[in-house]
Amino acid sequence: MTTHITAVGSGKGGTGKTLIAVSLAHSLAHLGERVLLCDADLGLSNAGVHLGLSETGDLAGLLAGTKSLKDATVRVTSGPRIHFDLLAAPSGSGALANADEAAIAKLIFILEHAGNYDRVIVDLGAGVDATVMSIAAHADDVVLVVTPDPASLTDAYAFAKLLLRRTTSRVPQLLVNMALNATEGRRIAEALMTSARAFLKATPEYLGFIPYDSRVTEAVRRQSPLLTLFPQTPASTAIESIARKLHGSTTAPVAVAGLR
Amino acid sequence: MQLRTFLAKDMKEALASVRADMGPEAVIIASEKSKSGGIMVRAALDESDSPAEAQAPSEPALVADFDTSHRDGLLRRLRGNGSGDRKSSLSFDRGDLLAALNRHRLPEGMAHALAETAAKAQLTDMTLALASALDKKMKPWPIDMHDANALLLVGPNGAGKTAVAAKIAAHARLAGRRTTLVASDSAGAGAVARLETFAKHLDSAVTTAESAAELNSLIGECVAKKTFVIVDTAGFDPRDAKARTAFAALGQIGRVDTIGVVSALSDAEEITEIVEALAALGAKRLIVTGLDLSRRAGGLVAAATQGIPLAHVTRSPFIAGGLESPTSLSLARMLLDECRSAQ
Repeated sequence: MTTHITAVGSGKGGTGKTLIAVSLAHSLAHLGERVLLCDADLGLSNAGVHLGLSETGDLAGLLAGTKSLKDATVRVTSGPRIHFDLLAAPSGSGALANADEAAIAKLIFILEHAGNYDRVIVDLGAGVDATVMSIAAHADDVVLVVTPDPASLTDAYAFAKLLLRRTTSRVPQLLVNMALNATEGRRIAEALMTSARAFLKATPEYLGFIPYDSRVTEAVRRQSPLLTLFPQTPASTAIESIARKLHGSTTAPVAVAGLR
Repeated sequence: MQLRTFLAKDMKEALASVRADMGPEAVIIASEKSKSGGIMVRAALDESDSPAEAQAPSEPALVADFDTSHRDGLLRRLRGNGSGDRKSSLSFDRGDLLAALNRHRLPEGMAHALAETAAKAQLTDMTLALASALDKKMKPWPIDMHDANALLLVGPNGAGKTAVAAKIAAHARLAGRRTTLVASDSAGAGAVARLETFAKHLDSAVTTAESAAELNSLIGECVAKKTFVIVDTAGFDPRDAKARTAFAALGQIGRVDTIGVVSALSDAEEITEIVEALAALGAKRLIVTGLDLSRRAGGLVAAATQGIPLAHVTRSPFIAGGLESPTSLSLARMLLDECRSAQ
């Protein structure tokens, strides 16, 4: 059986993708999953920056074949008894900016067969280039992050369109970040769902929203995990409930099988 | 994807701007009241692109000479907005006109008569020439929801009388009228139940009338209270003498306007006969239903040009879908839509 891959993408940059990927990793680990967070922003990796780490793992070494997956990852402890593994390239190294098709295929293969993990969360880079879309096409879930910025809406639409074109049937799940409230979150998701229904004949699912929260900015500045620093803030609560949704949808079939 | 945001005074104006700036394919993806009291609408536009579309054949062509864009055009034309790219004019050509009328299955005699009148108009624009010919034959006379007192809906089975009754009640309600829906004793199977369902949503009363006398006193009471009465009847063939006699009594009731309801799906010659018979029964106006289902306008044109004023047309089975009032010009545009795309 292959490992469950959840890709987090957005098309546009600056939507909070990395913070969401890091926080989901924390939350899902808290729910008892063995999680690997892979920072696939191959040119400019920064999950490590968010977590305030000096060691980020060695993605380049893994792809070059000089390191095993175990040696290429670092253990991140982001709270009491909460830890997950991180696989990234050192920030600013740009070592993988020009990763070729073969390297990407290899990365996908390694992630799909990472048997020591229940789930791999992939933080996709911004944009909709071939690397981003290949990884997204191989993921089991694609979480598409949208913000109230209209440009984010068009970029997310482009992402959904390319994903559908590549896979013929795969639609992303929408996560609205920085929404003022639940109504705005729902409205933004609906706008994208309506566009997709009209022009792509496919309807993405609404996963949920994360409210605009100044504590998020503060956590990013302090380079500490949001959920450790401000576990009670609205954004943290929202991310936890989304993590529970993702956790539930992947574990539910197993529970049913267990009942038989 | 193109994304644009429009600010306007109301939805109607916003939709007009969206159509004008982005074309008919644009989709409204969000709308909200703006702080200044107007409305903010966001619209998107993209080439349709889906693998599903490529696999599944689009609507099956039922008739070899039929083009689906034709029907869409038919509906668009009826809405009467000849804006944008639709301004391209057609120059008058009798052969082209006859061919277009033939495509819509107008009876030959009717088509030639229309072409003859259109030619005499001496207009170079074919659409205007046809509109002027139609104008001599048809008379739009929409129901005035503020003034109407009592309407008796008559017509063949399945023409859509019950749905039309509900649509009229909905419009009257919007005009601020109190309404009562009446199922006359012979109303078709399930009509009472359907009227009750509609009435519940429309805040209207429903009642039944067993005889012409009962109906007469019911209408009298309602008119006295300024309640708008809409009477639904059972479908019948007005060409059948026996059925006609049974119905004549209803039409004799004073203060009631008889409205004929016919479906645009009928063959043009059938509809001509039915409309003539309804006129003989005392129908003062016509409502033509089912434009969403008919791809050829022969039936509609035949109904509209029999001398009885055309009150409305409907093109949706939903009550909220409304009653529209076509004009000779919108009808002419609709008939020539296909020629326009060809020229």
